[in-house]
Amino acid sequence: MARVPIEPGYFTVPTEDGASPRLLGSRCDVCGEHFFPRRHVCARCLHEGCTDVELGPVGHLFTWTFVHVPLFAKKDRAVNAYGVGQVDLVEGPRVQALLEGAASEFSIGMEMVLDLETLRTDDDGNEIVTFRFAPVASATPSPGVEP
Amino acid sequence: MKIEGAAVAGIGMVRFDKYPHRRGADLAREAGLAALHDAGITLADVDEAFVGYIQPAAMIGIKAMKELGLTGLPVTHVENASATGLVAFREAAWAVASGRAEVAMAIAFDKMTDMAKGASSRGPGRDQLDATILPAAYFALWAQRRMHDYGTRPEHFAAIAAKNWNHGALNPYSHRQPDHIVTTAEVLASRMIAEPLTAMMACPADDGAACAIVASTEWVRAHQPDRRIVRPVASALQSEAYSPGHTFMGPVVGPASMTATTARLAYEDAGFGPGDVHLALCHDAFANEELEYYELLGFCGEGEGERLLEAGDTALGGRIPFNTDGGLIARGHPGGPTGLAMVHEIVTQLRGEAGARQVVGARRALAHLVGGGSVATVNLFEAD
Repeated sequence: MARVPIEPGYFTVPTEDGASPRLLGSRCDVCGEHFFPRRHVCARCLHEGCTDVELGPVGHLFTWTFVHVPLFAKKDRAVNAYGVGQVDLVEGPRVQALLEGAASEFSIGMEMVLDLETLRTDDDGNEIVTFRFAPVASATPSPGVEP
Repeated sequence: MKIEGAAVAGIGMVRFDKYPHRRGADLAREAGLAALHDAGITLADVDEAFVGYIQPAAMIGIKAMKELGLTGLPVTHVENASATGLVAFREAAWAVASGRAEVAMAIAFDKMTDMAKGASSRGPGRDQLDATILPAAYFALWAQRRMHDYGTRPEHFAAIAAKNWNHGALNPYSHRQPDHIVTTAEVLASRMIAEPLTAMMACPADDGAACAIVASTEWVRAHQPDRRIVRPVASALQSEAYSPGHTFMGPVVGPASMTATTARLAYEDAGFGPGDVHLALCHDAFANEELEYYELLGFCGEGEGERLLEAGDTALGGRIPFNTDGGLIARGHPGGPTGLAMVHEIVTQLRGEAGARQVVGARRALAHLVGGGSVATVNLFEAD
């Protein structure tokens, strides 16, 4: 069964083994600023009509926390604690996302890489996934990669 | 925005708490009547009203207003997330300052306990993608970065929370009424929510209502000759301004720098600065926010917040007491009414009627809120 994004239009779901997803962003053709998620009007120079680009998968951890409250506040998933961080992508945007790993594994400034987390399996057997960042050293393909 | 010719004529509020058996409209009626009585008037004397709430329902504000009477007055809904109450007040003050109203009302009510229950009905899509980032997690991201940049310790955040809990014990309108002196150790030992923030460093979910009536300064002088007059003198409101590294998705509020920009605008319009302010109320939904706002509101330099705290300057009796009514952490944070509870505390303090928590000689005060989405607002008050 396929991996399906929790919401279309925000990240790619690679089909090859071990490949990293990319974030779906925009680049302003006039001032060159990058944005995530996609937008039409440049937030920096107000030019209309940014170009679609793929961003990531690498960035650096700007800040992080480890949350001791169930994910989605008790819904969707039996996860009782999880990391959250802001990652500065090489292209510029700062992205807030789930983190893979334990609190002891995070430190500000470390290199992070994008991967996917499976949130649940739907009635058709599809894995519903969202994007997350993992410390580069411990980054592994998330389970459920298509054969 | 400079505000001239307006003064607070009346204040009223319902103590923030959990009210499972009371409707929001009933809470609004109680707060509204208290403010009308404090002003010595009825709704017949009110020319215009601004009613705020953040719960996701249409028209309930104008319906709640009918609890106070049906006089045909213009009523406008105001919603700016956690900043709603102060923004409703800003609109009422501007209605008077502009001359279109002699007397205007700002009123807000909310039942955060209902909203917390309703969270399970969150829709699919972008909302869900965003839903992984709880407010506690978002402000914990600030806290972790602060600890990295300045060597701040969890004890600093705990000390702010303990201070505000203890301020709450002196305020009959505070939700949290600790029966003992709350210590830093007690705050640190409470349940961890999002590292390094513990449950006692966070505001409660509660219900409430609050109301303030603004009138022309001449009207207040004529009708309340024996009272010290409290005037709103400046109100600044900003939404996010783009700068590199801006985070569009997931955040609860915009960059912390919004508060600094907004405060600068308010001070310019008021014609005085942080050195002239005697007490400040800020958005302490989480204790580490207050530390940041010491600096962003201009009460000390960047990286000096910890020293201000350690010196006791921001506690009652200190140089610039913060959140004298207990703040969001103790007094509570139902949503819409929060900003009007701040106005309630400031007017009580500047009238010299704050009892055990009175800031001696207080003549100028500041009220600050941020609201999700996001906005920041800073409002300055002065007494005769």
